[in-house]
Amino acid sequence: MNCEQLAALYEEYALGVLEGEERAELEAHLARAGDPCIVGVAQARWVVAQFAHAAPDAQPPAALRSKIIDAVKPSADTSRTAVPIEKPRLSRQRAIFPVWAWVAAAALALITGYTIRQMNNQNDQLAQLRKEMKLATMQNQALQNQLDMDRMVAMVMMSPDSTPLKLMPKDKNMPMVHAYLHPHMGVAITADQMPSMPSARTLQLWFVPKTGKPVSAAIFHPDASGQIAFVAPVTIPRDEIAALAVTDEPAGGSPQPTTPIVWMAQVN
Amino acid sequence: MLLAVVQPWPEGKQPTDAVLMERILQRDSGALEALYDRYGRPVYSLVLRIAQHPSSAEEIVQDVFLQLWRSADRFQISRGPLEPWLFTMARNRALDFLRLKREKQRRREDSDSDILPSAVVRPDPEGDIDQHRRAEKIRALMTSLPEAQRRAIELAFFEGMSHSEIAAATGEALGTVKSWIRGGLLRLRESLGEASS
Repeated sequence: MNCEQLAALYEEYALGVLEGEERAELEAHLARAGDPCIVGVAQARWVVAQFAHAAPDAQPPAALRSKIIDAVKPSADTSRTAVPIEKPRLSRQRAIFPVWAWVAAAALALITGYTIRQMNNQNDQLAQLRKEMKLATMQNQALQNQLDMDRMVAMVMMSPDSTPLKLMPKDKNMPMVHAYLHPHMGVAITADQMPSMPSARTLQLWFVPKTGKPVSAAIFHPDASGQIAFVAPVTIPRDEIAALAVTDEPAGGSPQPTTPIVWMAQVN
Repeated sequence: MLLAVVQPWPEGKQPTDAVLMERILQRDSGALEALYDRYGRPVYSLVLRIAQHPSSAEEIVQDVFLQLWRSADRFQISRGPLEPWLFTMARNRALDFLRLKREKQRRREDSDSDILPSAVVRPDPEGDIDQHRRAEKIRALMTSLPEAQRRAIELAFFEGMSHSEIAAATGEALGTVKSWIRGGLLRLRESLGEASS
């Protein structure tokens, strides 16, 4: 079966009811990088996930919230939101001890203090190692994600079914943005020498339909070297897209454009 | 000196999921608290419905939110909102629990609890504006379905059964079960379309 024939089964697969040959055939498609079924099944998972709203409403125990937050505290950066709190002072207590008891207590305190200091040093080193390991894992994952995305971009760009488009900037000093519109795999967007964006703003890609309001396709930022390369799913039928447009929006994106178009390409 | 975390959000301002995920990437536990306050209840409701056991549901929900904390770097808001990814992850984990409990063999798709955020993509970005309206539509849809069809969908979604398992559990013909499920999914899509229009 080809992807178009399998499309009817995406939601049944996402629901987990599909079996036998149909399931095996669809999974063979999903195992191939860049197969259009991957995007189709991802969208079907979104649709099927909505059944979660049919579960009877239940209040989680109050303690669950603090259990979760306590569990992440060791890896949280408390310096961002932390405020100092004074340690409660202990009230003075008088007691009478013989001198030898004071000496023994002092020796014990010294040994305990030394041991605690040693343990703290080891804990600090361990925490530092853990932090470095976590950072390396995150960097590795980010690189892997970028590699996957670059591969996807290359596949869409090279596909004979993709339509190349040039999104022209309204400001002549801005670079041109390239788009490759594929009916199933999505739209690949690439650009170089893009200006940097403040963190409170984002660029947002829109499908402008022949009739009706623009439909959000993706939000994105140029990377540190001013490059853009990503693939966004095509969420309205290819024939209904009149244009692709990019606007500058607040971080997180907007349901509808709130600023004038910065880049635009007509789609024939 | 002891350290205590203060509420970092200004009064009355609700940060978006994207902003909170960015703050989680910076290891801000306050952002996780805010996301828990937003999604903890529906996620717990879903998991409890599947696992049927409050203490197990608690463990699974904790696991889901810790996974969110660990996998924040994989999340790209452009691919879709957070809620369906959380639902998918929570459902898969709860079904795994259920299957282990029943000593059933796990199937490949459903055993992938740590599903990547990119594997759950909203088909219509604009349709996500009104989440409450969408939830109401789903509840209305389920109550409008004939009892047998609703039961079939519940067995699939909440108990992780396949077509043939549902047929065996309900005593209905396999073809009938397939058409109930397909019809239910079609109605779901239509409902979501109406909710976004």
